[in-house]
Parts: sequence; structure tokens; C-alpha cells
Amino acid sequence: MKRNEFVKATSLGLLGAMLPVQYMGKTEVILGHNNKRYKINTRWSQADVARYPVNNCHEMVQDKKGRILLLTDETRNNVLIYNKNGKILDSWGTEYPGAHGFTLFHENGEDMLFICDNNRHQVIKTTIDGRVLMTLDYPKEAGIYTKAEEYVPTETAIAPNGDIYVADGYGKDYVIQYNYKGEYIRHFGGKGDTPAHLSNAHGICVDLRDKANPCLVVTSRVQNAFKRYDLAGKYLETIDLKGAWVCRPVIKGEYLYAAVLQSNNSTGAQSGFVTILDKNNKVVSNLAGSTPQYQGNQIEEMYQTIKAFQYPHDVLIDDEECMYVAQWNSGKTYPIKLEPVI
Amino acid sequence: MEFRENVSDQVRTRYLSYMKNWILPTLLLLYTVSTNAQDNFQLARPLLKYSSAFFSTEMSVEMAFAEPNTQIRYTLDGQDPTEDSPLYTQPVRITERFTSVKARVFSTIYQPSDVVEATFIKDGLPIKSVETTPPNQKYKGSGAMTLIDNKGGTTNISGNTWLGFQADTVEIVVHLPKKEKVKNVLMNLLRDYGSWIFLPEKIEVYAFKNNAFQLVDNKTYKQDKNVNGSACVATVFALKNGIKTDKLKIQLHLVNQIPDWHAGKGNKSWIFIDEVKAY
Repeated sequence: MKRNEFVKATSLGLLGAMLPVQYMGKTEVILGHNNKRYKINTRWSQADVARYPVNNCHEMVQDKKGRILLLTDETRNNVLIYNKNGKILDSWGTEYPGAHGFTLFHENGEDMLFICDNNRHQVIKTTIDGRVLMTLDYPKEAGIYTKAEEYVPTETAIAPNGDIYVADGYGKDYVIQYNYKGEYIRHFGGKGDTPAHLSNAHGICVDLRDKANPCLVVTSRVQNAFKRYDLAGKYLETIDLKGAWVCRPVIKGEYLYAAVLQSNNSTGAQSGFVTILDKNNKVVSNLAGSTPQYQGNQIEEMYQTIKAFQYPHDVLIDDEECMYVAQWNSGKTYPIKLEPVI
Repeated sequence: MEFRENVSDQVRTRYLSYMKNWILPTLLLLYTVSTNAQDNFQLARPLLKYSSAFFSTEMSVEMAFAEPNTQIRYTLDGQDPTEDSPLYTQPVRITERFTSVKARVFSTIYQPSDVVEATFIKDGLPIKSVETTPPNQKYKGSGAMTLIDNKGGTTNISGNTWLGFQADTVEIVVHLPKKEKVKNVLMNLLRDYGSWIFLPEKIEVYAFKNNAFQLVDNKTYKQDKNVNGSACVATVFALKNGIKTDKLKIQLHLVNQIPDWHAGKGNKSWIFIDEVKAY
């Protein structure tokens, strides 16, 4: 075969190979179930990798200006600030090598940030532009730690009165409660065999959906569950999420959203998805995951069905109900955006 | 005039052929790559549901994949399933001594999944008792009996079906009720790099004959850094034409230094084993 014929044949062959892809592209990928279904945009971030590198993308929040803030453990820029179209507006932070938990709290109308640093064994409160306001060391006064290394905070949640709850998700799995000044109040949870104990207390949030009964929702990731406590740390109930290694609970409106790091049936294999619970804490949608099914009150095992995500680590729902997914250990990739399909 | 027309015809034909063969395909190709390549997702592997991979007479394996418009296809002959393989509609009955079940999901929207595989293992010769090097306290199952209880064959290490060891050499002695011609010895091991569980560096199998243990087979393992996730690895050892014996000894040698490519490099690995059988 002459060279040009060969090239021609090859390019036609390539075209042939691409045709099924073309066909598939026409069937738009919609993820999720029921009234929580989304279109996925894997190319939302327009960041220049050389200028704004990321390592693990751990968590995201939205500030009152509508900007999207991402926390990464890349110390060249621990915080990347995007607009909703994926354009980088600003960045800051070089001193958070173990940047993991990222919580935004409106304090008298001002946006305040709380960063949990796994490596520093500290929780750091900053302004929206990164000025440090308070640093919480390991809670000696709780009498449960002998040294800082035993305490590896992964998440904070702030109650309306300013009380700070810290989940020690990679340490001893306690939740430590402080007042707004950072003074120790109490601790609860911890490792153990009763339903009130936790295993990998990776995330925490304050749930105000039932106005009369505010509560805390705490992740027990290895147990594939969330656990509810009242604001004084009294255990209320377990929300079983069989099969799902849930990260932190994120509440927006009547729904609870959570990144699922991986599926229990396929650990260590990029088997993550995103789960959404309704106001009764029943799973109504899994993005890239199995159709939620209940036998009575018991959920059937959940698992990844579509490899749209690798290791999702956090979700953010913005003011327009769009979703952003930040991922751990996923090839230093930027967050993914998803738009709701009505 | 005639000549000119011919030229222009030739030019037109060449131009059209060039468009057809080169320009359009190239444009289409570029368009395809730029618009669709990223969202051409692959399906995840289906679930194989069973309580234990070990059984005495027969068992059934259930499969699940709760994603609309997808089909599970499976094989029992060790071949990777294709779109022409049997469609899963009901639990699959297993009766053979070793059956490798392979399953995979297909759809018109997504790329086919990778293959999920499990090996189901039927009872062999009766075993009277078994002794082992003491396992680590955290993974002691229900003692040495764990190795002959027909429970396990899943990658769940918190389910009490596995014995976990960090001893340099793990020694297992299997006693048969009477002398039998033993042709094969099987053990089920776990590989789970994320939990620092490696296959042993080497396994040696001995049979008791003429008042001494004689080495009958051995296997060395190379750790493959390219495999992901956790998997059961059932390994069969052959005793040539069979050896008449009532006692078998297995020695498993630990990977004493985890290789450099792993986060635990230089540390001791773990050995996990959940079942031993003789045939």
C-alpha cells in the first residue's frame, strides 16, 4: 500500500472508530434520579495548571458575593476563588499543608472561614481573604489526647450561636464542642461499639431543616452512615447509607447532599458517586450511583454505576442550585460542575 | 473545449474526492474529539452477591446493577464476557469444583464496564483439624478453624472470615482423618494494597511421607503495582501424580519490606488467608 493510501485508510479507520462515540455523544448523559438529576460539565474550571496547581481538592464553599472557594492541600495556593463560570478570580494561602475541612459561617453579616489542617493538627479561623483570626490547637482540656498528633481534625460546623464543633475524623473520632471564643465545652462520639460511637468521623454539619429541633449530622464513614446528635452531643439516630463511604453532609434547602468517596463493593478503585437525601433523610438520588431502593426502612446497598467521578470528597450547591464536586486523589483534577435538569 | 472540460472534470473529481476522503473526515474527527470525548463515561462493574465463595454441594450467585438501560452479561468458562455472552436474568447455579464467574455490564449510552470476577470453590477431601501460627489479635477470625469453615471469599476484612498475619513465616498444618491420595492443595489469599495486604513472597507446600514433611510444590509471587483495589486470589498447588498422606504443611513467607512504589515502603506487609482445601 502506498503511503498516502495508507494514511487515508488509517484516517478513515479512525473516523469509523470515532463514529460510535459521536453517536453516544448525542445521548446526553444525565446523572441522578427522581427530581434531582443533573448534566455534568467536567471542564468547568478554566484554571491554568501551571499558575494555579491543585493537589487533593478537598472542600468547597460559596461566599456572600457568590464566589466559589476551593480548598486544596497544594501550598502554592491553598484557596482558589472562582466565579460560577469557572474563571479564577483570586487565590491565597501557602501555610496549610494538610488543608482538609472548609466551612463558611456568616458572623454578624461577615463571611468567616474555618480550615481544618490534618498535618498541623489545628483548626484555623480566617477572614474570607485569608487573614488568620484564631487558631485552635488540640484540646488538652478535654483530657482525651496526650499529644497533638493524636488529633487530626477533618471538619468543623458552626451553630447559629457561634459554637464550634470539630470532627476529629482521622484521629480519635471525637466531636469537640467549643464556644465562639474557642473555649472547650464538651466532647462526644469517639471510637467504640455503641450506636453513639463513630468510625472515621470525617464530616459534620448543623441541620436546621426542622426549626424546632436543630441537630448535628456527623459522618461515620467506615460504617457507611450519618449519625444525628442534638446540639449538646446527645445521640439521636443513625442514617444507614449501606455501601456508601459518605464524606461531609451538606444541607441546602430541604435536601442533604454528600460526596461518596467510594463504594464499599469496590474500595481503592475510584468508585465514588454523589448521594442526595430528602428532608426525611431518605436517599432520593445517586449521581453516577445505583438507583436508591428501600426494603421497608432499610436501604439496599448502594454503589457506583457510572465512572463519572473518581474519589468525590465534597459537594457544594450554589445559589442557583448548581452542584460542584471536589475530588481527592483524582489526578490533580479541578472540580466538576453539574447543572440541575428540570 | 473537449480537452478543457476533461481537465475541469478531473479537477472537480479530485477536489470532491479530496473533500470526501480527507477534509470531511478530518473535520468530523476533530469535532468528535473536541465535543464528546470527555463525557464518554464507562460503566462501573456489577455486584456479585454471595455470602461465601466456598460451598459443599451447590450454591447460587446473584448479580446486581441498579442502573436503567443496562444489561449484565456473564460467563462461567473464564472468558471475559462480551455482548454475546448470556444475559443475567436470575441467580446462577454453581456446582463445579472451581468456577470462575465473570460479569460485565453493557449499555448503548456508556462504555462497557471492566470485568468483575469471583472464583467459587467446592469442598474437597474431609479435613479433621488445622493448626496455624497465631494470627494478629486484630484479625484472628474464630481461630484456626476459620481456615476450614467454608466461610469467606469476599474482600471484606472486617467480617471475621479472614486470618491476618504479620509473622515472617506463617505455618499451617492440615490433618486429614485418614491417609488419602492428595493431588491438589488450594488456599485463598487476599491482595489489598490499600490495607498493606500483599500476596506472600513465597509459598511452600509439604506433604508428610516416610516420617517427614517433603516439599511438594512452591510458588513465588511478584507484586504487581499496576493492579488496583482488593481481590481474592485462590491459588492451587499440584502434588504431581498425587501423594498418599494424612498431613500437609504450608509455609507462607511474608513480604518483609513493602516495595518502594507503595506508601508503606520498607514496612512489613500483611498476609491474609481465609480458607485451605485439599483435593
